[in-house]
Amino acid sequence: QQIQEEMNKQLFDNLVSFLRRSHSEFQEKATEWTCRMKSREIPTAALVLGVNVTDHDLTFKSLSEILQNNITPYVALLQAKDCPGIKNLMQKLMGQLMNCYVDADSSDEEDCAQVSPNRIRCSMTSLISWYENITKKTDSETPNRKRTSSRHLQSPPVVVIFKDMESFTTKVLQDFIVISSQHIHELPLILIFGIATSPMIIHSLLPHSISSLLCIELFQSLSCKEHLSTIIDKLLLTTQFAFKLGEKVLQVLINIFLYHDFSVQNFIKGFQLCIVEHFYSQPLSVLCCQLSEAKKRVNSLSHSQCENIRRLPSFRRYVESQESEKQIALLTSDNFLKEAVQKLLEDLHVYHENYLPVLRCLHVFTSSLPKYPLGKQIRELHCACLESRVWETEDYESSLQLARMLNKSDLVTMLQKCVEIFVSSSGKDFDKVVEKLKDFLAQFQKLEGACQEQGESISSQKELQKKTDLYHLQKSLLELKESRRSKKLTKFEVLRFEVVDFIDSLVKNYLVPADHQTLHELVYFSRAGALREHLNAAPRVALHTALNNPGCYLKHQALRSDGGSLSNKAPDVCIVYKLHLECGRLINLVDWLEAFATVVTAAEGPSGDAAVSDQVDDVIHARFIRAVSELELLGFIKASKQKTDHVARLTWGGC
Amino acid sequence: SLSKKMKEDKMSNLVEQYFEAHSSSKVLTSDRTLQKLQKRRLNQETLRDLLKKAPLPYAAEIKELNQQHESLFSKWMLQLHLGFNIVLYGLGSKRDLLEKFRTSVLQDSVHLVVNGYFPSITVRSILNSITEEVLEHTGTFRSPLDQLEFIVKRFKEDSSLELYVLIHNLDSQMLRGERSQQILAQLSSLPSVYLIASIDHINAPLMWDQAKQSLYNWLWYETTTFSPYVEETSYENSLLVQQSGSLALSSLTHVLRSLTPNARGIFRLLARYQLENKDNPSYPGLSFQDFYQQCREAFLVNSDLTLRAQLTEFRDHKLIRTKRGADGVEYLLIPVDDSTLTDFLEKEDEDV
Repeated sequence: QQIQEEMNKQLFDNLVSFLRRSHSEFQEKATEWTCRMKSREIPTAALVLGVNVTDHDLTFKSLSEILQNNITPYVALLQAKDCPGIKNLMQKLMGQLMNCYVDADSSDEEDCAQVSPNRIRCSMTSLISWYENITKKTDSETPNRKRTSSRHLQSPPVVVIFKDMESFTTKVLQDFIVISSQHIHELPLILIFGIATSPMIIHSLLPHSISSLLCIELFQSLSCKEHLSTIIDKLLLTTQFAFKLGEKVLQVLINIFLYHDFSVQNFIKGFQLCIVEHFYSQPLSVLCCQLSEAKKRVNSLSHSQCENIRRLPSFRRYVESQESEKQIALLTSDNFLKEAVQKLLEDLHVYHENYLPVLRCLHVFTSSLPKYPLGKQIRELHCACLESRVWETEDYESSLQLARMLNKSDLVTMLQKCVEIFVSSSGKDFDKVVEKLKDFLAQFQKLEGACQEQGESISSQKELQKKTDLYHLQKSLLELKESRRSKKLTKFEVLRFEVVDFIDSLVKNYLVPADHQTLHELVYFSRAGALREHLNAAPRVALHTALNNPGCYLKHQALRSDGGSLSNKAPDVCIVYKLHLECGRLINLVDWLEAFATVVTAAEGPSGDAAVSDQVDDVIHARFIRAVSELELLGFIKASKQKTDHVARLTWGGC
Repeated sequence: SLSKKMKEDKMSNLVEQYFEAHSSSKVLTSDRTLQKLQKRRLNQETLRDLLKKAPLPYAAEIKELNQQHESLFSKWMLQLHLGFNIVLYGLGSKRDLLEKFRTSVLQDSVHLVVNGYFPSITVRSILNSITEEVLEHTGTFRSPLDQLEFIVKRFKEDSSLELYVLIHNLDSQMLRGERSQQILAQLSSLPSVYLIASIDHINAPLMWDQAKQSLYNWLWYETTTFSPYVEETSYENSLLVQQSGSLALSSLTHVLRSLTPNARGIFRLLARYQLENKDNPSYPGLSFQDFYQQCREAFLVNSDLTLRAQLTEFRDHKLIRTKRGADGVEYLLIPVDDSTLTDFLEKEDEDV
């Protein structure tokens, strides 16, 4: 549990700092602009933020922080759910502004006392008088105030942020704008709209007469896909975290992101769940930490934990590949095992360190190819590498073929990028690689001279062609083509092949999928099914299987289903459900009851006595009532007034 | 591509099925009614007695299922503490399971159980029980939002406060409204409030948009128990069961919602008048003439006849009762207890 907390903390810190950074540029633009716009009439900034509403909280929080630090102490954040009417809006606004102010210089207690009680009569006039008071105070000569006034500009603006523009009622918004435009001279107001859809919404929400009171400028935030790729870069493609995601799990998370909600926060939540599940379910996950720490922990492993290690499939594979003596030692002696495990963990660590730079390198190559056979983003490449041996796939084959046709300038820039990556990476084996790459670069430089000469000759040819007529031109072109076809491979082309082959060999050496590593179970979480079940559940499917095929859940031999048909011994609800599937839109209760009674009595076998059967009838009636009301509770049917004693079906399809 | 094609086929098949079901307005069912069945209608108690007689099939298997779910308890606790909230879905009542969870794990900690299936429950009553019993605050709030704000503030100030909230049937009639869900979501997003809830309705996830979902931070668990919904359906007024005398709030709102605005206005007027006089023990009800006058003044009816027709409709739904006084004048009364009526009016005001 301790490890978990530690991991979580690291993760979140990283995330928050990243989000901050990615927004800071955009925010700076906005703050700059608020500074500039102060003198004019209601300036408005429209921030187009994208549909991932859940991520916006953080953005607004840091935005208001920056605004408070740099420009004005008066920032209010309004949410649609707090402001159903103009009165609530004003109340909220005043409350926040006054609190903001108190926050900004909390040294004065008396202010607090003065300000808070009059929450009930919050009108624009009181707001203005409050503002005048404040500004007057800032102008007066108490030393405390002077500091504030020097920090902020004279008569600082009041910034009002509307978090979710779309969910505000139009009337409230319009009224507020009209009112505040009346008082803009006494109260310098700046509005900021957070928009999830498109800037068109401003025009559809506000009629012309009102939007003409605003001076709107648009700001675009980063798209959420870019966020995702940066997060994946920061979280998954580092050696900093010992915990890794398996291919399937990553795929599930990315799919939820791309096909459902575009929310970075949900992605993080999923990642968090992975961590929790991993540390909860895998007994050997104690070893999932930094290398030095892990080595220490290996030494203190108990016997049963050692047995657990022996039971890992990847470890068994490893044992089988060893000599027989060593096999016996591994399987019997705990101490020997511990030593071996330490070495294996080291190997795993080295594997990760080597994996990343080579992956980035390959990405540099593939991301510039036409049609992106291996994907545009590094995450796709990562997935492909985790899934299987990447060099055996067709896509890889075609991308190598494309790479062999690259031109020189591209190739040189790519090589340079690769060198950078290798130099900055911490792996030990890469000195040679870097040397080799540098060598390649040098050779290219040498080639440059020759190329230039060639270029000159071509240009002279062109000069010639200009003067000749069309017929001659065609002829000379044909000749040129001939010569090209027959030409041998140039030095450049030979070199190019060499480079590509070299990259190829790199890939084969270092990008072996993680499943093939020994002890990968310790750090890779790969139970995608569990993840999908908990994050992206399908309650209707569960209900459907439970009703259609109760044998799935109740392991009783009477319920073994044989090809879709339901035995008549199933629970009542299932029978009633099955019968209701056969109906159309409306169901007659009497017929339904009789059908149910027939099925159930058939199941219980014939009973002789009439008196007993009457008794049974009542019980069956009662059971039917219970089952029907259960179906009603589940939302499959509802009472209908269309016809007497009928219920309406709310689902469709069926038998 | 084959699988894709299959999928498309399946999709179009589904669509066709939908239109098939809704194509003809004519209904092909027999005209038999329950009246002709020559069977007495059962009421709530006899129903319960009869069901007690019927043995529950597959008890052993169901028990086994429940044991499987119970093994997850410690995991739930861990996940609740990590900031997730847990929602249970699947066929069968999850009430006993949650009770078991409560008695076995939550015994020593502060917890609140909300019976969502209870037809008179409101968000306000949930919030009240938090403020009054957990926070021990005596005082009233102007709106649920204010109350929520107070709770949030208290929980943020005092980090030692912890509260487990168990909600049976989060998707019940009274809690499924947008506003109630918003408030519950905000409540559950507090780090020291741990929510564990169950849902049953097939369309329950439609209640939550993205913002609410992220506030709730759900982890889904399938807990199919197959146990009968005893408590849950006892309030569901089925067609086959004789209606008990007193009206529940949920049925009141249901009937009223299907009426015209004017009819609703008429009912509201009567309800308000009755509440104003609730402290007067000798209040006989509103006389028809006075009522007519008031409705006219509010532009709700234009003639004596329309009001009478409206009142007949109310009477058919058992929404009002008439009583002839000593002086031979007809008096109108709503046969609902005052607290329900107050709740109803509050809800109506919110909606308008």
